[in-house]
Amino acid sequence: MSAVAQKSNMHGYEQLTSQPIANLDNATIAHPDRLDAIVRVLTCGSVDDGKSTLIGRLLWDASDLPDDTRATINRSVDADGVPDVSLLVDGLVAEREQGITIDIAWRYFDAGHRRYVIIDSPGHEQYTRNMATGASHADVAIMLIDARHGVKRQTRRHAAILDLMGVRRVILAVNKMDLIIWSEEKFRAIERDFQQLVRRFNFIEAAAIPVAAKRGDNVARRSDQAPWYHGQTLIERLSEVSNRDTAINAPFRFPVQSIIRDGLDFRGLSGTVATGSIQVGKSVQLNNSGATARIRRIVTMDGDLDIAVAGNAVVLQLDADYDVSRGAILAEAVQPPIYAQSLQARLVWLAETPLDTDHGLLIRTSTDLTPVSSLSVTAKLDLETLAENPATICLPNDVFLADISTSRPIAIDRFSDVSETGCFVLVDALSGSTLACGVVVQAHEHVLKHPSARPSFTLSVAQLEREICAGLSSSSDEFHRRANAVARILESAGLSVDIKRD
Amino acid sequence: MTKSFSHLDALEAESIYIFREAAAQFSKSVLLYSIGKDSTVLLHLARKAFFPQKPPFPLLHVDTGWKFRDMIEFRDKTVRDLGLDLIVHRNEDGAARGIDPVSYAPSLYTDVMKTQGLKQALERYGFNGAIGGARRDEEASRAKERIFSFRSANHRWDARKQRSEMWNLLNGRLGTGETVRIFPLSNWTERDVWRYVRRERLAVVPLYMAAERPTILRNGQLLMLDDGRLPLQPGERVVNRKIRFRTLGCWPLTAAVESESEDLESVVTETLAATTSERQGRLIDHDQTGAMERKKQEGYF
Ligand SMILES: Nc1nc2c(ncn2[C@@H]2O[C@H](COP(=O)(O)OP(=O)(O)OP(=O)(O)O)[C@@H](O)[C@H]2O)c(=O)[nH]1
Repeated sequence: MSAVAQKSNMHGYEQLTSQPIANLDNATIAHPDRLDAIVRVLTCGSVDDGKSTLIGRLLWDASDLPDDTRATINRSVDADGVPDVSLLVDGLVAEREQGITIDIAWRYFDAGHRRYVIIDSPGHEQYTRNMATGASHADVAIMLIDARHGVKRQTRRHAAILDLMGVRRVILAVNKMDLIIWSEEKFRAIERDFQQLVRRFNFIEAAAIPVAAKRGDNVARRSDQAPWYHGQTLIERLSEVSNRDTAINAPFRFPVQSIIRDGLDFRGLSGTVATGSIQVGKSVQLNNSGATARIRRIVTMDGDLDIAVAGNAVVLQLDADYDVSRGAILAEAVQPPIYAQSLQARLVWLAETPLDTDHGLLIRTSTDLTPVSSLSVTAKLDLETLAENPATICLPNDVFLADISTSRPIAIDRFSDVSETGCFVLVDALSGSTLACGVVVQAHEHVLKHPSARPSFTLSVAQLEREICAGLSSSSDEFHRRANAVARILESAGLSVDIKRD
Repeated sequence: MTKSFSHLDALEAESIYIFREAAAQFSKSVLLYSIGKDSTVLLHLARKAFFPQKPPFPLLHVDTGWKFRDMIEFRDKTVRDLGLDLIVHRNEDGAARGIDPVSYAPSLYTDVMKTQGLKQALERYGFNGAIGGARRDEEASRAKERIFSFRSANHRWDARKQRSEMWNLLNGRLGTGETVRIFPLSNWTERDVWRYVRRERLAVVPLYMAAERPTILRNGQLLMLDDGRLPLQPGERVVNRKIRFRTLGCWPLTAAVESESEDLESVVTETLAATTSERQGRLIDHDQTGAMERKKQEGYF
């Protein structure tokens, strides 16, 4: 225990101090030079469940807030001497004026040997897309509920979105336990409901913790209010949760970002190993033709490596000059990605306007951007019953299933196999905005003929050089600008356009 | 075996990924170089991202004319040593109108000399991707910032129109007239920046290290006199104090702290143990609440 005396006040609560309790115990390692892991924590809950208070509590009790910030918050103590820690989580002026939370906010703190990134997302129904965005980055999610209300429809919705976006670890924080007088019976009932609920999803960890965020019980400090609870506090749980280490054991995937040249002799492929690992001398598959190459060097500014693993940003030099460019995914021949021209996917509609299938769409997968030749909605997912109901349209915040075909094959994985290369976003060809995000359920090597397939059009570089870009080098900015302008005009007319070097 | 991946390794790799995406997706990018520790880290990461090639974009310094002399010297030496292209842009119109941090409110001065200056430079050279060193941990409106932050034709930032960023997929497709600010250090904290400066043994502007310097005390803040342009107010005395800076901006707007940390090692140790927030030293941010949010809407990076 910390050196600070913790006496009880008349309410039976511990006397609260303005000191960060977690840091007092391990002051010497408060700021180690090196942290072992970054853990991204999504917090989701409905309005009034106490999300701001809970995040504020984590910051207040487990992190090293600056003294000036502590002093400001300490001016807001209530009659019991409890500071309003939710003030640590202030938003934009625009949000305060309109009384809404527009967006997810990112917050950072270190505790023990870990960096925590708190991804704070608004939980209301109309913000499904924000939650989905936050979930796409999360290693673990804290689902917050009010102990008086228990597991609700909303909780099920949140679980469904987390599952869809690939979050595998969840923590149910049953908040405001003080308002149900720390009743074990009620907590156990909520815990049972929750276990029932999560059984339908693919979570590998789902713990329930009784907390009172307002005073910090079981957040970073064990509560003396619930002698019947022998589980972990929230921060203890977070300190043990493992982040996405599975990436290293998955098959090797290296999405190529760009070609790096140095003089005449060096041509390398820059990128970050998405999953798996690769060694010098190993052979990699370059594309759907099955062409392979050997890794000659793994280059970094800090010297060459023998092996590159998931997460390493490197430049790979192959044993000869192959026709590989941005968008390709290098893999091992034994476990290649799928080179698909049609896929089935689950999507979240992010845009403010409904899907308009006449609009030109592009699909961004890893580092590739490809025209979509058709997209048809097949079903809409009811996030509460998890039923897939037949549908043909989709509205903002909808989660739906669709068949998508592309104008040329793209390297992709099923999300359930390799999540890092099994996800995508849909881009409006004209405005550039991100319309939807999705995960691949099924991918097929062949083209599915679809009645509403959009006509596609290939612009050849030679043709551009003859006509609208006459006299310009095809590597010049102006050539690119004009070529893209032409492509956009065609795309806005509903054609799917591909620019090809012959 | 490989050495285990620390959080700095993860942050470094993420930043490199962002740099490469920016260079691949924007036809004309520029690195906003403001000489401080964040820019130093940013530039180092840019070199790593494209090694053995040089970074495929020039550096842009929007010079207000009020940077510490040590900063300008450091800037020129860095560019020379690394053989990089540097564009220095000053809002000549603002300078001609005599807009300075001495006689004008910090908000107006910052708007004219920094925000307008930046917009002028981006427009003059036709840059559509501007890479900056802003971090989400700096301030409330930064906490909601994207990695690719889209700006309308007149460079305005609209919190509601920002694109969702899912997984590590960065969508840089531009709409008509749009430009982008790119923030490779989004997920770094101030402490990470210093940890990294130490780990990579990066040279930083000497002003970050403590030394005897001429100072005055104004409104409870320690200001260093870099030249004779700041008139003293009645009762103010110039006193030599051992000071250093946690953040570097325009000199009359950047407060110093008293410190004994004369070398990088002790600066980093002091910073890791610091109990006040870095922005305390930035007088422009105290101007009014929501100041950064407003500046961003108007086109500040
Ligand atoms: N009794 C009690 N009240 C709490 C507790 N935690 C939060 N509250 C109160 O619940 C109300 C809502 O809390 P906020 O933290 O603002 O919750 P929120 O609405 O989920 O947060 P945002 O939507 O992010 O603003 C506030 O009045 C809090 O003081 C708790 O443990 N016990």
